[in-house]
Amino acid sequence: MSENKFVVAQDGDIEDGEAIKIDRAITGADDDIAVFFDNGEYFALNDTCSHATASLSEGWIENGEVECPMHSGRFCLASGEVLSMPASENMRTHRVVLENGDVILYPGVPAGVKA
Amino acid sequence: MNVSSVLIAGGGMAGFQTASSLRELGYAGDITIVDASTAPPYDRPPLSKDYLLGSSTIEHLAFAKPEWYVEKNIALVLGSAITALDPDSGTVTLANGRDLCADVVVLALGGAARKLPLDTGTASNIHTLRTVEDANALHAAISVGTRLLIVGAGLIGAETASSAATLGATVTLVDPFEPPLVPVVGLDMARYLHAHHAGSGIRTIQGSLTQLIADDSGDYVAAVLESGERLDIDQILVGIGITPNTQLAVAAGLEVDNGVIVDSNHRTSHPRVFSTGDMARTRTADGELARRNEHWESARLSGTATARGILGLEPDHADSHWFWSDRAGIHLEVAGDMSAAAESVFRGSTQDDSFVLFRVNGSTLVAAASINDSMAVRAARRIIAAGTAVTAADLANPAVNLKKLTRGIAS
Ligand SMILES: Cc1cc2nc3c(=O)[nH]c(=O)nc-3n(C[C@H](O)[C@H](O)[C@H](O)COP(=O)(O)OP(=O)(O)OC[C@H]3O[C@@H](n4cnc5c(N)ncnc54)[C@H](O)[C@@H]3O)c2cc1C
Repeated sequence: MSENKFVVAQDGDIEDGEAIKIDRAITGADDDIAVFFDNGEYFALNDTCSHATASLSEGWIENGEVECPMHSGRFCLASGEVLSMPASENMRTHRVVLENGDVILYPGVPAGVKA
Repeated sequence: MNVSSVLIAGGGMAGFQTASSLRELGYAGDITIVDASTAPPYDRPPLSKDYLLGSSTIEHLAFAKPEWYVEKNIALVLGSAITALDPDSGTVTLANGRDLCADVVVLALGGAARKLPLDTGTASNIHTLRTVEDANALHAAISVGTRLLIVGAGLIGAETASSAATLGATVTLVDPFEPPLVPVVGLDMARYLHAHHAGSGIRTIQGSLTQLIADDSGDYVAAVLESGERLDIDQILVGIGITPNTQLAVAAGLEVDNGVIVDSNHRTSHPRVFSTGDMARTRTADGELARRNEHWESARLSGTATARGILGLEPDHADSHWFWSDRAGIHLEVAGDMSAAAESVFRGSTQDDSFVLFRVNGSTLVAAASINDSMAVRAARRIIAAGTAVTAADLANPAVNLKKLTRGIAS
């Protein structure tokens, strides 16, 4: 598989409980990707909420979850699993790792899978 | 009581959430959801927004996919209304003659849209909006140039006005109050929201209808206002609130007072029967009857609380009241009671595309409403629930991170 990875930030750029949005034009993925930093860990999910058009990178990030800014559907950051109405579909995860201070995103590679 | 079967009457937000929470809490007995609708449980808020605009589908409104019910072992009995309840035996009777029986019955029947008292005829062009069928009928009745009169400028009336205007209708919105919605969003936000309609080409009139004029077919062609003004119309939507569906409860002898009375565990006056969502009204520990909520999040939380009550678990901690509303370019969120006595503190201004209005009492945040800044209200909701002390200066200062305030850190 061809190496498809991007340095999207430096460690420390994204504050705790914040996220950044990586445009699909950069990654070539089918959606923008939200990269979250929560409690010392990085996570990445497709950015567009599975319920209505809203950007999860603008959501409320806390305790390993993100709450959508529109209608407060909640998702698990690690697994993308939907945790609360009104959303009913899981979000796709992407692998993100920290290496030598670089936050590296592997678009299309599910979290937990080695690239 | 040892519960091994639960029958949930009504598969709206509250009934669905009761079922879902029962499983999450580990309940392994039978669960049956009965609903008069033929559509599997679905979400109502989009009915006045995306769905009415034609940009969503009934499949997308579904709370869960068909597989989910199989996986969770939840039975759906759809398409037949419940016509009677016998609390002692836990039996409900359906319109198709079938009887269903369970250890516990949950009444989650929501409310019915109030009818206009003037509407005594057989007109086919007068609508209410509560179900997907209502939304389909309204959508089909609106096209470019349709003269739509909306009676009642509450949340649903206002949202529908906005959606209908987007569809090209010529919308007139009539409400006796100027501005409407003060009890729900407070005076300052009510003024802002009401003024916004003009920008969408919606005409607002303060007043009420005194007469509806029908043509030979029985359809309404005009409405007369108390001012004497006559409005020629093609369609009418009536959005003057709901009445809780308490008929079954009344007939079954349960205690009812503008809602089925429940305790903090959502148990009604009969030990076998619980009630939840828009139709239930809580009697607090000190004996007072709380205001009945008619919002999505309160229905969801009340579903979870009902599941806990059925299983004999203590009620969860209470989150502060929260809801949203969407209309042309505006996403409104509200946490807490905006009409409670307090002072208004603005972050940003009503001239901006987004701003927040806080209601503060000393160092206590009582409520908050935002336009296009939902994270501010999410922060406010947590601050209100935790009782975190705030200052008006911090709240008003856009440089102060509200999320940090929830953790008691001002930066
Ligand atoms: C158009 C619209 C827009 C809304 N927008 C918002 C919003 O933006 N924000 C917000 O916070 N809230 C909104 N709400 C309110 C929110 O949807 C309700 O508070 C919520 O649906 C209440 O849930 P419930 O389960 O108590 O009742 P309901 O959702 O009304 O469900 C009751 C169910 O019971 C069934 N039923 C009734 N009688 C019988 C019977 N005899 N036998 C069998 N089944 C029966 C009905 O078919 C229905 O499915 C909106 C509501 C509507 C209608």
